Amino acid sequence: MIYLDHHATTPVDARVLEAMLPFFSEQFGNAASRQHAFGWAASDAVERARKQVAALIGAGSKDVIFTSGATEANNLAIKGAAKARRDRDHLVTVATEHKAVLDPMARLAHEGWKVTVLPVDRNGLLDLGELAAVITERTALVSVMAANNEIGVLQPIREAAALAHAKGAWFHTDAVQAVGKVPFDVEALDVDFASITAHKVYGPKGVGALYVRRKGRTVAAIAEIDGGGHERGLRSGTLNVPGIVGFGRAAAIARAEIADEAARTMALRERLRGALAANTEGMTVNGALDARLPGNLNVSFDGVDGEALLVSLDDIAVSSGAACTAAEPSHVLVALGLSKDRALASLRFGIGRGTTAEDVDYAAAKVADVVTRLRAMSPV
Amino acid sequence: MRYSDEVLKRVREPQRVGALPAGADVGSGVSGTLEEGTVTRIDVRVTGDRVVAARFKVFGCSAAIASASLVAEWLEGGSLEEAKALTAERVVAALQLAGEREHVAQQAIAAAQQALASVAEGGTK
Repeated sequence: MIYLDHHATTPVDARVLEAMLPFFSEQFGNAASRQHAFGWAASDAVERARKQVAALIGAGSKDVIFTSGATEANNLAIKGAAKARRDRDHLVTVATEHKAVLDPMARLAHEGWKVTVLPVDRNGLLDLGELAAVITERTALVSVMAANNEIGVLQPIREAAALAHAKGAWFHTDAVQAVGKVPFDVEALDVDFASITAHKVYGPKGVGALYVRRKGRTVAAIAEIDGGGHERGLRSGTLNVPGIVGFGRAAAIARAEIADEAARTMALRERLRGALAANTEGMTVNGALDARLPGNLNVSFDGVDGEALLVSLDDIAVSSGAACTAAEPSHVLVALGLSKDRALASLRFGIGRGTTAEDVDYAAAKVADVVTRLRAMSPV
Repeated sequence: MRYSDEVLKRVREPQRVGALPAGADVGSGVSGTLEEGTVTRIDVRVTGDRVVAARFKVFGCSAAIASASLVAEWLEGGSLEEAKALTAERVVAALQLAGEREHVAQQAIAAAQQALASVAEGGTK
């Protein structure tokens, strides 16, 4: 089985697992136990990891709040910032965001907030002119994802953040897919909140973080989870020490290897795209190619049902739309203006650390075979 | 969407895919539209009171392919009486289809019944 679904999740790197293991058994202390050495060891490990995660995104370590994952981080940033800004009543986001942004926004809209969901162009990119036009002095928060989880498109975060700040709004980005894959620096981009997660960068599932700006601009979020005041009072609950240690190690590896990894995965992506285009007629790449995650390819095939294609690719793990909404046409592809047919006939390839040239060659040949067979089977 | 092995084997190694050449003993039925997301075509050749050949073509999801494939399998070699008695419920049960996929089984049956009716009306030639 060839795994080409690295946007869904990644395997835990062996170096990460090795770092985590002692914290399940010998070093099992609670990081909040301040009275004995077990607690101190756990706390030291968490703070080392916090520095490693912060370094990956150019933050200070105190700016990093550990959470259970990016969904929690997004909820904390969006709902927390909204609750902290009762003087304003407007939120802005984009149609191609992950559900972990769109659903909290919808919840706030239900509670009375005005929420503007901006469209994207055919390439999946946000129009900065449209963004500027909707942000007002009533806007509390603007949330724009750094890299899209389906089509890999990179949004103009620095420019979007500047537009938000010009009207006194805070800026959040769901940076889950971007961090560790392309340069992402909270200072250079001037973002106020950024959600990240370990399992997209070869760390464990169940641990993520929210970057919350502490210098230059005063921002705040009201906690979603109370009970002990952990993580600067923003996220109570006993810390997942093995997971956090793994996240830290994964972040350090990603930081050290990002340039080589990006070049290698992009070369493989282009090899895959070239082979697919050469062997399969009627293929369209969804989303901008020039502003895109290096390991992402999202394509549609005319005259083929995407689900049947996916099921027929019995030894290749790829995805059709987002993993959690596979039975429906992707809201991201629909936002790009794709027809329902074409949106359903899409495949997302996510190339990652373990992917080889042989893997992508095999996948391209197999996709071409199956597409040809399904087309021959079609009565229309 | 997780499918039963009965669905998966028919999608990955389909049998009886295709169309039958037109003839007075051949009937063809089509059910569904592209707008609905699934189009199923079933062809049958009838000799006496037996369906001697059945073929299918599908544009649609795995459940639609497996449904048409199974119906073609059941049709071929059976009697007309057996063919007319086929139901979507039997297809759903045999393939263990989830509720939201039942309509594709109904389409396969509708295409089959149209094909049988088309032979009775003089076939495709």
